[in-house]
Amino acid sequence: MFNEVAAATVQATAPAQSGDAPSLGVSLLFAAILAAMILALALEEKLHAKKSVIVGLFAIVSLLLAAFMGLLPFGPVTLADGHRVELPEYIPSIDWGVITIILGSSIFVDVTSKSGLFTWIAIKLTKASGGDPLILLSYYGLMTVLFSAVLNNVTAMIIIGSLTAVSLDRLGRADKLLGFLLIEGLLTNVGGLLTLISSVPNIIVGTAAGIGFITFFIKAAPYVAVTTALTLLMGAKLFRISRLTPDERELAAQRVAVFDENDGIESMGFFWFGTAMLILFILFIAGASFDGWAVGKLGMGFVAMSFAMIMLIRYKAEAHSFYSAVDWDLIFFFVFLFVVIHVMEEAGVLHLIGQGFAPIIAMGEFWGGGLLLVVSALVSSVTDNIPLAAMLAKILASPDFGVATDSPLWWSVIFGANLGGNLTPIGSASTLVAVTIMHKHGVGVSFARFVVLAFPYAVMHIALAVAYVLFFLT
Amino acid sequence: MPSVDQFESVFKSASKVPFIYEPRRFARILLITDSDAANAERIGERVQRFLATVDGRSQWLSAPAGDSETIEALLALVERHRPDLLVTYRNLHSAAWQWPHSLGRHLDVLTQIAHCPVMVIPHPNDTAVFATAMNHTRVVMAATDHLAGDGSLVNCAVSLTEPGGKLILAHIEDDGTFERYMETISKIASIDTDNAREKILAQLLKEPRDYIRACREELAKQGVEISVEEVVTTGHRLSEYQRLISDHAVELLVMHTRDEDQSAMHGLAYPLAVELRHIPLLLV
Repeated sequence: MFNEVAAATVQATAPAQSGDAPSLGVSLLFAAILAAMILALALEEKLHAKKSVIVGLFAIVSLLLAAFMGLLPFGPVTLADGHRVELPEYIPSIDWGVITIILGSSIFVDVTSKSGLFTWIAIKLTKASGGDPLILLSYYGLMTVLFSAVLNNVTAMIIIGSLTAVSLDRLGRADKLLGFLLIEGLLTNVGGLLTLISSVPNIIVGTAAGIGFITFFIKAAPYVAVTTALTLLMGAKLFRISRLTPDERELAAQRVAVFDENDGIESMGFFWFGTAMLILFILFIAGASFDGWAVGKLGMGFVAMSFAMIMLIRYKAEAHSFYSAVDWDLIFFFVFLFVVIHVMEEAGVLHLIGQGFAPIIAMGEFWGGGLLLVVSALVSSVTDNIPLAAMLAKILASPDFGVATDSPLWWSVIFGANLGGNLTPIGSASTLVAVTIMHKHGVGVSFARFVVLAFPYAVMHIALAVAYVLFFLT
Repeated sequence: MPSVDQFESVFKSASKVPFIYEPRRFARILLITDSDAANAERIGERVQRFLATVDGRSQWLSAPAGDSETIEALLALVERHRPDLLVTYRNLHSAAWQWPHSLGRHLDVLTQIAHCPVMVIPHPNDTAVFATAMNHTRVVMAATDHLAGDGSLVNCAVSLTEPGGKLILAHIEDDGTFERYMETISKIASIDTDNAREKILAQLLKEPRDYIRACREELAKQGVEISVEEVVTTGHRLSEYQRLISDHAVELLVMHTRDEDQSAMHGLAYPLAVELRHIPLLLV
C-alpha cells in the first residue's frame, strides 16, 4: 500500500511536470523555511504551540510560496495503474498508508487497553517480582521493550512509568524512582527498534526501503535483546538497584501482594477477546508484509484500521469517545509534514540536503553507514526524529542515490533516528513522558542533568548499534 | 492517546488497602458508674455477661462512684488504672439521662481524653432498655464514613462479635455532601456532570467494598467464625444508621469518636452517641 501511494506521489511530484529545476536561491529560501520549522519544533515547549500547528503553518506558507513561484506540478495525478484523477496538489503528497497505521493502531491500542490486558500483565509481573527492586527493574525493563514494540513508545512509557511510580511508592522505594524511570525511558527507544510498527521512523524508512515486518524483526531483535540486557545491568549498577536481603523480602512481597490485577478488568469475556485480538493483530501486521497475500496488498494501514473497528464493536455506542481520544496533534503533524516535505522536494531542498549527505554515502556502506547512524542520532537528539527519517528516506530512495533495499544505510537511519532520542530529554516523546512523570513525583531532572545521566547509556546504545549495523547487517 | 494520570489512576485503584487481622485484647476493663457498690456490682456482672467474647483472663475493675464525681477525679482514675477498655454510661452523676439530649460532661471528656475505647451502655436506671439491650453480641455493626483501611475499628468489632455471629461493616457516603459537590461540578463546563456522578460514586463505593472483601477473606483465612455482611450505600448518615440498626437488630455499634483535626467528638459520632440510647456503643 505504501509503495503504491509513494509511486503515485512520486509521479505527481516529478520535477519534469513542473518545468525547470528550481534555482539555488529558491532552494536555499525553502531550506531556510525548513530549518525554521525544525527549530520551531525543537522549541515547541518554549513556543507553547503544538507540533501540528507549527508544521501546519509552515505547510501553508510553503505551499503558497511554491505555488506563487510555479514550483508545484498542478494538474491531474497519475495513479500506479495509469488512471488519472483530479486531486488538490497537497493530497497525494500525504502518505496515507502511514496515517492509517498510526490512526488505526492508536484506536486499537486505546480500546484494547480498556480490556485491562496491559494493566493485568503489568501488575502480574509486579507481583511476580515479590517487590525485589532488581527483579522489578528487570521485569519493568523487559515489559517496556515489549510494550514499546507492540504499542507505541509513548503509550508504553505511560503505562510502565505510572505503574513504576505507584509500585515504588507502595514499596517505600521512591528513592529509586529516578533510576527506574530513566532506564525505562531509554528502553522505550530500544524497544522501538524491535518491529516495523514500533516507531514512526521504522514505518517511514522501513516501508520506503521495502523491509517487511518479519525481516525487520529478525534483523533488529538480536540488537534489542543484547542492548536491553546491558542497559539493565548498567542501570542497576549506576543507580545501586540491588536484591533485597532475605529479611526484607517478606515485607516487600506483602506490599506488592495488595495489587489486584483483576481490578481493571470490566469483563473477563472482553479481556480474553482483547488478548486474542492483540495476538491476531501482530500476526496480521506480520502477514501484511507479504505482497502476495490479499492482506499484504491492502497493507498494514488496512489491518490497523480493521482491527480498530472490530474492537470498537464492544463500544459501538460510544465510539466517538475513542475518536476524541486519538492524538490528533500527532496525526495532523504527519499530514502537514508530508506536505512540507513534498514542497521541499519540489523546491530542490531534499536534493540540496542529499548533496550534503553525499560525501557520507559516498564513503561506502561500512564507514558511510556508521557515520550516517551517528549523524542521524545527533540530529534526532535535538529535534523530532520523524522529519529526519522522512527526509532521509526520500533522499536515500531518490534517483540521485538509488540506495538498494538491502543496504545497511537504511538501518543506519532507523537505528540513528530511534536511538538519538536517548541523548536528550527532548529527543523523543517517550523520554519526555519519563521526565514528566519524574517531575510529577518530585524527582524531576533538568535538561543538563538528564543529559549527564543518560549519556553513558546513549553512547553505549549508539556504539553497539554502529557495531551491529556494520558487522551484522552489512 | 492515554495519559499518565489515566494509568496512574488504574494502578492506584488496583492497589488495595490490606486488612491485617490483629485480635484486640482487653486485658484491663474498667467500669465507671455513679451507683452504689451493690448496683455497680450488678451492672458489672451484666457487662461481663454481655462481653462474653472478651478473654477470660481479663481483669475486671470497678470504680466506686466517689472516684469519678468530678472531672479531675475521673481523669485521675483513668490515669491510675490505665485500662484497655472503659465501660460507662451517659450523664454520669446527673439526672439528665431522662432527657435524651446529651452525653453528659463526664462522657464528653472521656471520649476525647481516654487512650482506650469507651463502651457506652444504656443507662441502668432505664431498666427496660438496659434489660433488653445487654444480652448478646451476635450482631455487631462497625460504622464509619471511611471504612477502607480502618483496621483498628474492624478488629475491635471482630473481637466483640460472638462466634457464629454476624459482623456488619457499614460505610455510608453522605448524599448531602455528595450532591453539594455534584452541584458544583454541574457548573463546570469542562467536566461532564453525568459521567462525573457515575464515576465518582462508583469509586467512592468501590473502595469500602474492596476493603470489606479483604476483611472477609482474611478473617476466613484466620479461621474466625463470624459472617461478614457488607452495607455500602449512600444516604443521610444518621437516619440510615438508625434504619440499619433497626433492620438488622444490631446489638452493638462500633464507631470512631476521635477526630485528629479537632478536640470535639467526630462529626457523625456525637449525634449517633446521643440518639442511639437503646443499644451499647463502642467508641474507638
